[in-house]
Amino acid sequence: MRTLLHYVRLYVLIATQYVKARMQYRADFWISSVGMVFTSIATVFVFWVLFHSIPDLAGWSFDEILFIYAFYLLSVVPLQLFFDNIWQLRFHVVEGSFIKYYLRPINMMFYYMSDMVDLKGWVQLALGVFMLIYASQRLGLTWNLWRLGVLGMALFSSSLVAISILTIAACATFWIVGSFPVMDLALKIRDFSPYPMTIFDGFFRFLFTYLIPIGFVAFYPSQFFLRPEQVPLLTYFSPLMGIGSFALAYFVWTKGVNSYTGTGS
Amino acid sequence: MKSYFALVRGSFMAIMMYRLSFFFTVIGNLLYIVLLYFLWSSIYRGVETIRGMSFNQAFVYVALAGSIFTMVKTWADWEISWHITSGSIIMDLVKPLDFQFYFLSQTVGFMAFNFIMIALPSALVLLLFFGADVEMGVGLLFLPAGLILAFLISFAIDYIIGLTSFYTESIWGISMTKEIITTLLSGALVPLQFFPDAAQRILRLLPFQAIYHIPLTMLTAPNLDVRACLGLLGTQVVWVVLLFLAGRLLFTRASRVLMVSGG
Repeated sequence: MRTLLHYVRLYVLIATQYVKARMQYRADFWISSVGMVFTSIATVFVFWVLFHSIPDLAGWSFDEILFIYAFYLLSVVPLQLFFDNIWQLRFHVVEGSFIKYYLRPINMMFYYMSDMVDLKGWVQLALGVFMLIYASQRLGLTWNLWRLGVLGMALFSSSLVAISILTIAACATFWIVGSFPVMDLALKIRDFSPYPMTIFDGFFRFLFTYLIPIGFVAFYPSQFFLRPEQVPLLTYFSPLMGIGSFALAYFVWTKGVNSYTGTGS
Repeated sequence: MKSYFALVRGSFMAIMMYRLSFFFTVIGNLLYIVLLYFLWSSIYRGVETIRGMSFNQAFVYVALAGSIFTMVKTWADWEISWHITSGSIIMDLVKPLDFQFYFLSQTVGFMAFNFIMIALPSALVLLLFFGADVEMGVGLLFLPAGLILAFLISFAIDYIIGLTSFYTESIWGISMTKEIITTLLSGALVPLQFFPDAAQRILRLLPFQAIYHIPLTMLTAPNLDVRACLGLLGTQVVWVVLLFLAGRLLFTRASRVLMVSGG
């Protein structure tokens, strides 16, 4: 408990420094936020265009898809806000500045990730909440304390899955030179997570459920709220999936960190 | 001319350094095609044609849009922005080369690599393994020119976006916004035919459809005649000229506000 408090305090200290430094570039913050709005509504826009021509997608209505998408936006908020530094990992590793993170008596992953807070994550949070409320109203979903609790739990698990997928992809940089395509691939796959997993069959359904579990980022957990009468048993394992994948990501990170030999400069 | 060619060669050689990472790009592109296949199969479940397009036409359209994406993505906006914010731009400015063509030649090498190594193989896989048989007509003959012009339009837009860094010193937001607008409004994600009619009329007046929709039309529209193809190429040429000129105009204005601190 005391270590936890210690880390929370440290996080606030490190993050505040970062935010202060960023405040120099106010224009950048607003321009980035606008970019984030566009990025976040792109997929919804695609669905909106598609649903002009089709009544449903694999049995899911536009409002239901919107709900799943809102859930997806919310579940990637922690990744965007607190783990955005993984996008810089390959630069730090190649240029050698990664060595700095070895030299503090704190958890390395924590130190590395705390070095950056991506402020534009607030856009996803706001849009996610807005879309979730809007879709719930259109679908006639009612919220009570119990359901909000389930939502919190579900989002916690999903965000861990989202974090793990990109962290593992980023760690490729410890072994591969020019690892951007690995991350790009992970991102491309993750972009499919707001789609109903029922559009896939056979191998790919299996792949996205167990091996690269993007199904757990949005689709499976949001069924708790959309179609509670037909939730697959699997969905109840979401928290296990989240914790399990994060443990794996942490393991890969540790392996990578230990095998890194620096650049010699 | 010779010096620009050396830059093209240099950028081609530079990207050859990253062969393993290229492997992942190919895998990623193939996987993307597979995912699109599933998505569009479920869109077309139980219907023959949507908005006059068969499943095959729509699928080839969006899958090849993915290949065009890897080809026309120049990263020139990021590159220019990086040169401006880091100050290394002064080294570019003292070179006896035209700034716009200097960056153009640097991206041509990447484009050639991506075309040969990624776009072309993906297209072949698409045609061979997915049995995506579309009727190809005379449009195919115009496709190479269409693709080159698409690349030039994409570069011209990226160049303008990159130059905005003279004013903002920030690139992520602007580049992202440009990227999303380009992909959404060009047919890169959903064929232009799927948009509501009123929206389509507006989109056809914008340069973005000239990057994706025009080359893809050459490929998937079954009964294009030569005159229609020339019309499509003409539209692209107009956009290339307009956007290149706009870029040059912006450069002369923007380079006046350049401020590089120390070094």
